[in-house]
Amino acid sequence: MELVLSNHSSYPRIGDDPAGQRLRRTIAQREKGEKTEADLRAAENQMTERALAEQVEAGLDVVTDGLIRWYDPVSHLAGKLSGIKINGLLRFFDTNFYFRQPIVGGKIKREKSLVVEEFLFAKAKSPRPVKTVLTGPYTLARLSIGQNEETGKLDALLAGYTQALAEEVAALAAAGATLIQVDEPALLKHPEDFSLFETSIKPLAARKGSARLGLAFYFGDAARLYSKLQGLPVDILGLDFTYSPSLPEIVRTEGSSKTLAFGLLDGRNTRLEDPNALARQLERMLGGLKAEIAYLTPSSGLEYLPRDRAQLKLKHLTTVKKTLLGRAA
Amino acid sequence: MNREKLQQLGIKLPVLPTTSVGSFPKPDYLMKARSEFAKGKITRQELEETERKATAFWIQKQEELDVDVLVDGEMYRGDMVAYFSEHIKGFEQGGLVRSYGNRYYHKPIIASEVHWERPITVEWWKYAQSLTKRPVKGMLTGPYTVMDWSFNEAYPDRKAACFALALEIRKEVQALVEAGAKIIQIDEPAVSVRPEELPLAIESMRLATNGVPAYFITHICYGAFEFIYPEMLHIPVDNFDLEMSNSGLDMLELFKKDPYTKDISFGVVDVHNHRIEEGPVVQQRLQEALKVLPKDCIWVDPDCGLKTRTVDEAIAKMKAVVQVAKAMRN
Repeated sequence: MELVLSNHSSYPRIGDDPAGQRLRRTIAQREKGEKTEADLRAAENQMTERALAEQVEAGLDVVTDGLIRWYDPVSHLAGKLSGIKINGLLRFFDTNFYFRQPIVGGKIKREKSLVVEEFLFAKAKSPRPVKTVLTGPYTLARLSIGQNEETGKLDALLAGYTQALAEEVAALAAAGATLIQVDEPALLKHPEDFSLFETSIKPLAARKGSARLGLAFYFGDAARLYSKLQGLPVDILGLDFTYSPSLPEIVRTEGSSKTLAFGLLDGRNTRLEDPNALARQLERMLGGLKAEIAYLTPSSGLEYLPRDRAQLKLKHLTTVKKTLLGRAA
Repeated sequence: MNREKLQQLGIKLPVLPTTSVGSFPKPDYLMKARSEFAKGKITRQELEETERKATAFWIQKQEELDVDVLVDGEMYRGDMVAYFSEHIKGFEQGGLVRSYGNRYYHKPIIASEVHWERPITVEWWKYAQSLTKRPVKGMLTGPYTVMDWSFNEAYPDRKAACFALALEIRKEVQALVEAGAKIIQIDEPAVSVRPEELPLAIESMRLATNGVPAYFITHICYGAFEFIYPEMLHIPVDNFDLEMSNSGLDMLELFKKDPYTKDISFGVVDVHNHRIEEGPVVQQRLQEALKVLPKDCIWVDPDCGLKTRTVDEAIAKMKAVVQVAKAMRN
């Protein structure tokens, strides 16, 4: 089996050095009217290229654009859809990061692409395959509210977001995306919604074309849902192993019908884990898998870490893989 | 109200005593001094003189407003966790991480075993108390929040880091009491974010305060209280300072279901809004509180620290708090 090293999703868009501050400065200047929209795009492009380069330098096989242009994982997508207004700040799960909450006032409609241009830019600049990331319809629905009782119903919100994201998946596949990751952290907080959640994944899978579609679950314990997740019509399941003491044993004993992305390195803490311990844990889990490849990733996006530590975390993926190969040899 | 404890401590308070959550806005001259200090244009001593001037300003303002239990206003602090991480051995300053939008902060790293080496806030408390005869609260950030808002490289897990911090913060609690502080507030705004970790917060507060002769308050905000109430009442403090107004007083519904059993510092003005609420609005909030809670257990204050407001807005909001509390005393 081949172990593929991949970033999870986000990468810090600020560094402590002057070059790392350029995007921050440009955004502030843009808000004051001192810079143009073109200046802002140029700063975003430059930071995206730097994020891509740092991932490549860390030794990754698959990179992301670092979600450098995203205000947050919710409003960046929802804000581009019609029928939605973006409102005040709310905490993003149990992080110290805040997102702007969408208020859905009418029919959710995708009238323009959400991340296709971002994908095309990253693809053009990256020497490695690019994974595209979307926040999933269930998580968007859970983190939105309706302007009235009717638009605020979870199933109505979910249906609207599902339709829009299915169109985006189709557009990404048509643009040449080969690997699309849909993030659904909210499901782990509401496992009772699994049946409803499942209805939102089928339309996405139906539009993926030849792309491989993955789901990423994090910020919670996926152990209790593991068996059910295996029945979803996707190619890859990405799991956060930092919340669950029992998940490694469940994976080892139950195996997987899907390709797994092992989120073993804590994307929210600067500590570099013991590579021997992780390699041992990984070895035990890989033994029961039939897929030709598995991914090793951080447990979540890396935007929760300082930039220098985020790159060290990515380099540590390489260390863990080397340790694993050393054990096998 | 736990008046017996307050009496034992020699503190006499009126019905519906007034206080504030902790921080006040830094006056312009202090913001300028902090900026000049950061650029190396003034010395630390010059900065501290300006911080003392601003502290004296806020003590005087609180007295003029007739607030019952005062705070030093935290003129010497930037961030509530970073301040303590800079003064407890074992921390390193981490790089920048994003808070939201284009806002970033330096998140501390617990890089080695934590050690309280000397008093952190005591001199500030002593200075503030020397300026007034009214009680001044000692103000600390709690171990759970310091742990949750830091990276942990030194301890095997969050629990170990949290308990280690609790034992070091306890030394600051004891130092404040030895200096004469009778009321100590230990803020734990992070407590409501991970309901499954509430036992950590309860035990760490016990480690920090158990057996120390003071009236303890904890401030909690920004959370899903429905997941931690009523279990949060097990946090061993005398008084919960809660953000009530910003959430439309919805916690009162929880109190109707499961009776609230401690003293409460009831937030009657929203701190996230420039608008100064009209007297009747503030009065209505307090009236709603009195329908559910015994009058004798209620303190009256703003929802949260006022540091994000202007000086004038903060004074106006505190004025609204005091006026309504006084009007409702009889």
